[in-house]
Amino acid sequence: MSSAALQGWSASRSRVGAIARRHAYVLWRSPHRLFDVTIWPLVDAVLFGSIAVFFARQGGQGGSRTVSYLLAGIVLWHVVYQAQIAVATGFLEETWSRQILTMLTTPMREWEFVAGVAAFGLIKLVLGVGVVTVAAVGFYAFDPGSLGIWVIPVMLMLLMAGWSVALFVIGLVLRFGNGAEAFAWGILFVVMPLSGVFYPVEALPAVLRPVSLLLPTTHLFAAGRALVDGRGPSWHDLGLAALTTLLISAAAFAFLVRMLRVFRERGYITRYT
Amino acid sequence: MNNVLVARGLVKDYRRGRAVDQVDLTLREGERLALLGPNGAGKTTTLLMCLGVVRPDAGTVEVVGHRLPRGRSAAMAKVGFTAGYLPLPDRIRVNEYLRMYGQLYGLRDPAAAAAHGLERFGIPQLAPAMGTELSAGQKTLIGIVKATLHTPRLLVLDEPTASLDPDVAFRVRTGLAALCEEEGTALLVTSHNMLEVERIAERVVFLARGRVVADGPPAEVAASFGQDDLEELFLHLAQDPEVQGVDGGGGHSTETSKGVRP
Repeated sequence: MSSAALQGWSASRSRVGAIARRHAYVLWRSPHRLFDVTIWPLVDAVLFGSIAVFFARQGGQGGSRTVSYLLAGIVLWHVVYQAQIAVATGFLEETWSRQILTMLTTPMREWEFVAGVAAFGLIKLVLGVGVVTVAAVGFYAFDPGSLGIWVIPVMLMLLMAGWSVALFVIGLVLRFGNGAEAFAWGILFVVMPLSGVFYPVEALPAVLRPVSLLLPTTHLFAAGRALVDGRGPSWHDLGLAALTTLLISAAAFAFLVRMLRVFRERGYITRYT
Repeated sequence: MNNVLVARGLVKDYRRGRAVDQVDLTLREGERLALLGPNGAGKTTTLLMCLGVVRPDAGTVEVVGHRLPRGRSAAMAKVGFTAGYLPLPDRIRVNEYLRMYGQLYGLRDPAAAAAHGLERFGIPQLAPAMGTELSAGQKTLIGIVKATLHTPRLLVLDEPTASLDPDVAFRVRTGLAALCEEEGTALLVTSHNMLEVERIAERVVFLARGRVVADGPPAEVAASFGQDDLEELFLHLAQDPEVQGVDGGGGHSTETSKGVRP
């Protein structure tokens, strides 16, 4: 039997779809992985929502705004988190199931793999962010509509930032092996406080502020707070966010390409056979 | 006949030393070649370089007319690979797994190719099974079905029948022979089972310490070393300090000769 083969973009689409479907099977058949997109977002919403409500009830100025800052912060944070964790663990899944060698001997290109896990990751992202948002609305009367239409570019750039961090993590795992997989879960816990998810960076120790300004997430959360305040889009923050998102995306891509080259040169594939 | 694999002057150094040293390897359409040698001889590294997974420090690889690494994707569309030591993913059914790889190979109808592949090796009943439900031998068979889904021009099998019982191994040999015969697929296989190699391969290449030390039809290669069969030759070469310590410059070409070069 001679099988007809797809060419060009049709073949690429088919391969991206195959990877997305493969990861759908993994999620569907590993219910514990649903924790990432259901339980943890719910826990985050309840934790930060309740902290906000508690402080708001202590009195003082800006009580209700504090609640909105924290809830908007946690909703937007889950865009970065879900985007990053889906792509990074998508790659790790192939190392755990020792499929890397088998996949590298197919016509699939590296970008097609990343596109496949990212495409399925979007579904997980919608689930995860959906759970946080519904919990924030249901438990704390958060109004996501109050953020306005400009929250969309903020979310898109957060998505890009999450994917960039994931590419960086994949590069680390290619270079250092599964010992580096802790970064898949841990790296964002470094990024989170530096990004001022719930507070302006002026609240950070002075020594950390220059570092935080290099992160696109810092400017994106600042832009998010401007939307919470009803001040409309902060062009200054959005401009800096676009620039830094572009820079870290390019840097993460270059890092991954370099690590892939090292992976092939040093024969690190044998770690996964 | 066209060459489906042309590797010239392959060299690979790892931290522990030179794994592959000036290996040339050429494989023609429909040819069945076994790459043999003791553990650490450089067989798998050579295969991985021919598949574009490991980058050679020196030398070139051309697969079905595509130069690696630039033409890797186009080349791999014509190559099938599996290894007896690679598992199937756990959380996926056999038919889903085969369909997925059919899509990765760019097939228009991966489901039909999967069904045909399972039929070819006499295991259609495994289609709905989960990876966790399969025996080691069945997993190996599914790996071979996966590697042949797209009727590749070159089929590379690393220790394919290590965990198969004689009956299943026979079915694999028969299926592979039919594929090579009908489709002109070239076969590049590594194995430590010399009896099986004699049955499946028309040409063997022996590696020792990363170098080619013999190349030719199995019986002729064995005879040229004064041995009765490949099993004895394997032991002879694996234990021969001269061969193990083979020295001297220059490459060890296997490219055109079907003759024996002890």
